[in-house]
Amino acid sequence: MSDIGKVRLRLPSTIKVGDVVQVRCLIIHPMERIERDKAGKIIDKKYNYINKVVVTYLGKTVSTFDTTQSVSENPYFAFTLKATDPGTVTVTFHDTLGGKYEGTAQIAFG
Amino acid sequence: MRRPTRWLAVALLVAGCTVAADAPDYSRVPRWTTRAIPEARGEIRPEAGGRRVAVRYPGWPTTDYEKFRTYAYDDFRPEPTVSRATAPTGITGDPKTGRALFLNRQKGPCTGCHLVPGDDVWPAGSVGPDLSTIGDRKLPDGYLYQQLWDPRVVFPLTVMPPWGLQGVFTPEELVHLVAYLQTLHGPAAPEKDRDRNPFTRAKPVGFGDNLDPTNNPGVVRAEDAEALWKEGGPAGKACADCHAGGAATAMRGVATKYPRHLPAWGRVMSIEDFLAVHAPATTGRALPVESADNVSLTMLVKMASNGLPVAVDVSSPEARAALARGRASFVRRVGERNHACADCHTPEQGANKFLGGRYLADATSGLTRHFPTWRTSVNDAWDLRRRFQWCMTPLGMNMLAADSVEYAELELYLTQFDNGKPVSVPGIRH
Repeated sequence: MSDIGKVRLRLPSTIKVGDVVQVRCLIIHPMERIERDKAGKIIDKKYNYINKVVVTYLGKTVSTFDTTQSVSENPYFAFTLKATDPGTVTVTFHDTLGGKYEGTAQIAFG
Repeated sequence: MRRPTRWLAVALLVAGCTVAADAPDYSRVPRWTTRAIPEARGEIRPEAGGRRVAVRYPGWPTTDYEKFRTYAYDDFRPEPTVSRATAPTGITGDPKTGRALFLNRQKGPCTGCHLVPGDDVWPAGSVGPDLSTIGDRKLPDGYLYQQLWDPRVVFPLTVMPPWGLQGVFTPEELVHLVAYLQTLHGPAAPEKDRDRNPFTRAKPVGFGDNLDPTNNPGVVRAEDAEALWKEGGPAGKACADCHAGGAATAMRGVATKYPRHLPAWGRVMSIEDFLAVHAPATTGRALPVESADNVSLTMLVKMASNGLPVAVDVSSPEARAALARGRASFVRRVGERNHACADCHTPEQGANKFLGGRYLADATSGLTRHFPTWRTSVNDAWDLRRRFQWCMTPLGMNMLAADSVEYAELELYLTQFDNGKPVSVPGIRH
């Protein structure tokens, strides 16, 4: 799909100070799997898949995930964090071909 | 006084029945030149050596099924004639060979509809009767042979294909299958896994909120079309130039009326069909049916109607004539397997049962209002036409062009079951 790297982030619609909120995100990415030739031999090439996900909140890295090819195409990630201050949550996806894709969401208290 | 009233009631009843059962009229079917991408036109390409190859989407089978009846309105071939047969003599059936044939996915597989014992029977379906103990019924071999050759001799309305008559199994293979069925005796072994048995298997639960962009990649795909909406075509105009206020406002409610009969084109059209003729005429941009842009823009247009009830016209003379033909297509038996849509998708037949591991949808509950839908199995958005084309390929029938009048009228027939129910695009399905 031509949309490679599109990221969508979602937070609960209302957040109160101190809430543990679930952040959900989806990235459009092919997450290439091992391919084999007709003889069953693994084709040697640089496979494109996301191998690192970094979460920052209020400018600080709060979590990193190391991911492998076992993660599906167009993967969905969800995690929780404690909403202490209003600010930006950024999720950055890095793939093996050097691609860097970012999605952001604003934590605001209503 | 009572007598005339009663006659009036009878007359009204008769008139009502006549309306409900409009006979399909094929004498004034509009002609149509396809505006679909080459893979979606249902074309056949002759190759060197006389072989004929069906042009379909990448990764789809290319077998040419020209021998078998299709949905084309100009295909006048009748349904295969009901055929009696007796087993060939001189062959002794081998139950082991029969069992392998029963499970062979290149053939039926018989397990798609029938449960038999064995942990390797996976996943079995429940459209046909459970055959786990069929041998206990002591049915004559000749009777079972006839059932496999052409079951319509005994059950005229069966959904089971005439396997022998259509050449899917040879007479010798049928003898092996009969021998296998005769070995199936009760009592059935206790079930180790409730999901092996389609009668106790858990029903699929779906994929959650289809309108949540973090859950449905289809939503992200549809947002692509926002750029297309604003971008001028070769004629210098963009959709946004005539349809003011953004797609979500300008297109609000439009999709609830499609498919509809458009007098300017003399035929029933879905949003996809219409975009393929409307975009070139206004913006100069080609938007062939089944192109990624066409499907994305269709999603964008339909999303503007999300939550609004479907309201397709079923009362104008044109709509009635199209509906009658669409209904006739729905029950028309086609292809190598001599199946009709109704065999799998009406509650009287296969709907709400398992076909292998797949849970068959009920067309009469309305299953068009979430199309184009994201298919998790292929990681792509499919509109209803590509779903039709895929439905028909494994049934052993050449597909028609995605924007054919036949498909449009079948789509209209299916969509009227959605009338009054909310549009919800893009859907998400396996």
